[in-house]
Amino acid sequence: MAGALTERDFVKKLERAGFVDVEVLERTPMGIDDCALYPLFTEELLATMRQLIPRDRLDRIAVSAIIRGRRSQAPFPG
Amino acid sequence: MSRDLLHQDEIRALVREAYESITSGSRAVAEKLYSRDELRGVPALALEHALGVGNHLRYARIEPGDTVLDLGCGFGIDSILAARATGPTGRVFALDFLPEMLERTAAAADEGGLDNIETIEGEMEAIPLPDASVDRVISNGVVNLSPRKARVLAECARVLRLGGELCVADLTVEEEELPPEVLTHPAAWAG
Repeated sequence: MAGALTERDFVKKLERAGFVDVEVLERTPMGIDDCALYPLFTEELLATMRQLIPRDRLDRIAVSAIIRGRRSQAPFPG
Repeated sequence: MSRDLLHQDEIRALVREAYESITSGSRAVAEKLYSRDELRGVPALALEHALGVGNHLRYARIEPGDTVLDLGCGFGIDSILAARATGPTGRVFALDFLPEMLERTAAAADEGGLDNIETIEGEMEAIPLPDASVDRVISNGVVNLSPRKARVLAECARVLRLGGELCVADLTVEEEELPPEVLTHPAAWAG
């Protein structure tokens, strides 16, 4: 999640890449217990998160967003 | 001498190492994201190693006969489900930069009796497919792993046919940043 964008930036990048009708269709908060389901979150990272992230944010560390867009024009050169 | 100003190679190496080291799995993620009906008949290998963050396939509008690109297929669960949706007249390109993931996806496709999945080794920043060659791009928890997200999304647009759709599930964060100790933890780039 260190590389995650804000939803606004994600949508903006999609639009700049040539997508239109970009919609955020679903948002699901991801808390520390959700993170713990994934083997990619090491015990050390989870412990760091529990220690440093304010308690009232531990149930919403990130948001899983489902985003859809339609390709309607030539993309900008990457 | 070239300089990697954004530590892109280092980030890629961290992600590669984290995904290569996955040995154990559980059904917990799959059972959280997908319905029992959706999971029925999905090979155990794919089921027990689901690493996605949402069920974007419910919104992906895959039609029979569509050509679908699964960006970062991992152990293959979404490729399997997309292959079922597009049916025998369509096909799914399962892309991943790790050969181990492609082997597992191919094994899961074999086990599931699906012959419309083609695995492709490659980077999402340089998708090895021609322009305007797919109808749908799907991706689950993968775009956030790239240090060059604008490039990834431009590549998705390039390979999509006009009118084609991208439907992704991905992690987003709120404006208030996470603590620097979390953001700079190596595992946080893969998790």
